[in-house]
Amino acid sequence: MDPFWETLERNSKHMNLQGIIIQILSGISTGMVIFLIAVGLSLVFGTLRILNLAHGTLYMMGAYLCYWVSSVLTSFGGAFWWSLLLAPIGVAIFGGLIEVILLRRIYDREHLDQYLLTFALVLVIGDLCKLAWGVEYHLVTTPWPFQGPVFVMGMPFPSYNVFLIACGPVIFIGLWALIHYTRLGKVIRAMTYNREMANALGTNVPRAYTVVFMLGCWLAGLGGTLVVPTASAMPGMDMIVLIECFIIIVIGGLGSLSGAFLGSLIFGLVNAFGILVAPRLAVAFAFILMIVILIIRPWGLMGEPE
Amino acid sequence: MFRVEKLIKSFGGLMAVTQVSFTLKKGEISSIIGPNGAGKTTLFNILTGHLKPDSGAVYFKDQEITGLSPHRICRTGIGRSFQKTNIFPRLTAFDNVQVALMAWQKRTRNIFQKADHFYQKETDEILGSLGLGDQKDRLAGLLAHGDQRLLEIGITLGTFPEFILLDEPTAGMSPEESHKTMELIQQIVRSRNLTLLFIEHDMNIVFGISEKVRVMHFGSIIAEGTPEAIRANDQVQKIYLAEEV
Amino acid sequence: MKPSMGNRKKTKSMFGLIAVMVGFLILPGFLSEGWISLVNEMLILALAACGLNLMLGYAGMVSFGPAGFYAVGAYATALILIDTNLPFALAFAAGPLVAAASAVLIGWFCVRLTQVYFALLTLAFAQIIHTIIFEWYAFTRGDNGIVDIPIPQMLKSITHYYYFSFFIIILCLALLWLIIKSPFGKTLQAMRENAQRAESIGINVRLYQLSTFVLSGFFLGVAGSLFCGFNKNVFPNYAHWIKSTEMLVVCLLGGIYNFFGPIVGSIVYLFLDKVITGYTQFWPLVLGLIIILLLLFLRGGIAGFIAERMALRRRRGEQA
Repeated sequence: MDPFWETLERNSKHMNLQGIIIQILSGISTGMVIFLIAVGLSLVFGTLRILNLAHGTLYMMGAYLCYWVSSVLTSFGGAFWWSLLLAPIGVAIFGGLIEVILLRRIYDREHLDQYLLTFALVLVIGDLCKLAWGVEYHLVTTPWPFQGPVFVMGMPFPSYNVFLIACGPVIFIGLWALIHYTRLGKVIRAMTYNREMANALGTNVPRAYTVVFMLGCWLAGLGGTLVVPTASAMPGMDMIVLIECFIIIVIGGLGSLSGAFLGSLIFGLVNAFGILVAPRLAVAFAFILMIVILIIRPWGLMGEPE
Repeated sequence: MFRVEKLIKSFGGLMAVTQVSFTLKKGEISSIIGPNGAGKTTLFNILTGHLKPDSGAVYFKDQEITGLSPHRICRTGIGRSFQKTNIFPRLTAFDNVQVALMAWQKRTRNIFQKADHFYQKETDEILGSLGLGDQKDRLAGLLAHGDQRLLEIGITLGTFPEFILLDEPTAGMSPEESHKTMELIQQIVRSRNLTLLFIEHDMNIVFGISEKVRVMHFGSIIAEGTPEAIRANDQVQKIYLAEEV
Repeated sequence: MKPSMGNRKKTKSMFGLIAVMVGFLILPGFLSEGWISLVNEMLILALAACGLNLMLGYAGMVSFGPAGFYAVGAYATALILIDTNLPFALAFAAGPLVAAASAVLIGWFCVRLTQVYFALLTLAFAQIIHTIIFEWYAFTRGDNGIVDIPIPQMLKSITHYYYFSFFIIILCLALLWLIIKSPFGKTLQAMRENAQRAESIGINVRLYQLSTFVLSGFFLGVAGSLFCGFNKNVFPNYAHWIKSTEMLVVCLLGGIYNFFGPIVGSIVYLFLDKVITGYTQFWPLVLGLIIILLLLFLRGGIAGFIAERMALRRRRGEQA
């Protein structure tokens, strides 16, 4: 029999209720982590109107920084939690420098120039990571207190993943509060809506751009840090996550916070479903969903037509 | 020749065009004036297919053209220029007009011949009538603003329209330039026997060449008549006076 | 005065072009097989980039997925050669035709959108092509790729294949040149400059964009088929977005608003690639820095820069 059909038959034996629930939870935790990264990309696109192809690479940098800080601080307790604090900040600072030195020069350029510049950053930052940390996979042990499993309907599920699932809504609420209750948030909303207006209203647009970009980088770094205990830091993780982010923000809507959340959730679940049903084609499921959305509702589920 | 019936268009809760109806005779030169936000450009966008109206109909030579896409409407013989200069900046002035001619003559599907010599005479003629003949090899983006507005009209003429809509053709020009441009337009329109409907913001420009004037305010036509009648109209005066204040 | 100067410029360009072509023809007499191979690879990449540039530089359509059609062309040829007994000519012709056919299908979906969304959709489709090739083991041999593809005895030598490629590529470039200089080509440029205006002068922009997409797919397919015969192997990564970006970079490097830009770009790119990977494994870092410098300081690409210099010198010559 064709290997494809063999695998399908084998997998369908796993489709009992517990197996499905574990897969769903797994999908949700994947979704929540990707939400952090996708929302940063979406935020930057919504306000700065730049699709930052290097966003995934900044996520990767966050992962490597997490590994580095953890290995430097192993003697101290709670090394991972220190990296969780420091690594995203490191990525944000790095991002701020990039914005000021490079990105500022291309805001009024054509889209192609912007894509190529951010792609060049993918190459440069990616290789810098390779220079600093080599090509081996780097793992960080799951941090205390999340080292054991919890039991869902009798089946084990990593408690760290439960922590990840919790992170999603926490960050969502934090960002929502930021956007709706702070001055920075007001500026973001103004810029998303109309850049020229925001400028005319006296906002220091260049500085606001830098801050928003740094926020996006911070979120990418956070995602990278959180992922390392489960998936290890390795070359190539940047582009995989980038393409996944594209899919999510297209599904959810570019520039929309709730869209990114919804899109990530859908992505995580579709992926999990795909792995259950046809593991080798699981990758394609999400792409097909993206194509369908792009055709019937190109501005995404929660976005607005331009 | 051109008939508009009860056009309505709203955006969200905002009524941009409310129950607009009017008729134009062949060869008529008329204008639509009104303060900013009155809905003039929205009306033009509906007439040329860039927007679909919520209800109402548009007829050209007794054929309904409501809701057709812009390139189909162009084929019926309607041409349009835009308020914001809408040219092809990195093509030469010559190419700008030539492309319109080629599109009109359905030559754009041709991939087997060199384009340089197509319709050279006709393109030169249009450029000449606008006073742009000596700049034909300059990149359109590098032309002076006034010349770009003229090129804009040149592109419109390239599709040999019978009816042209010009949206604020003198936008951004000095008073003398505006006057000269309107004279030029009048000359072209008369020599090619076109029907012209234009939007203008400045009443003085309108009075020179417009046979009929329609005033739009908050999406509907509130007055219609000869320039003198409009000038004497109290309601219109109030609108413009209120605007100056 | 003017017409004769125009003619002089034309004859100078003609001579230059013929000289370059003759140069390529006699190259195998002077170079080792390794170098001939490299030049062959450069020419194939140049054709792919020129095919992409029809969309990119002339029609203003930014695609992230040209490698998809390149791979379709390569695999179509490879599969026919390896699974059937059909003649090479048929297999070779099938590549671009299948690529063009898939471009019709994919393009139909893609041209309904613009800008960022268009780019993302082309990326998605290219990735789907990659996944299909990678996973459909029974048909495409999956990630093992297809190796030892049989090509006619006559073409097996490196020099012979070089001349074969050169002939096909020159033919395709001539066709591309014709297309660009034709009314169709001018229409594409008008669309690039101002799609709304083009629409309002009677051009069905969507239809022309689809046509460009298909033509581009066709030439990318030719390049894919050529590379299949050149390498005698095909792999799924021919469709990977890394390959797509390589083509985009080549166009940018040479200059997208110049017909010869992608050709110059591919020669420089592959040359730099071979040289620099000899010294360091950090070729991506160097490439990234080069791209940044290009974008900031040399916006017309290499060909654009040269064209500007020539125009400047000509203007000075006229004034003197």
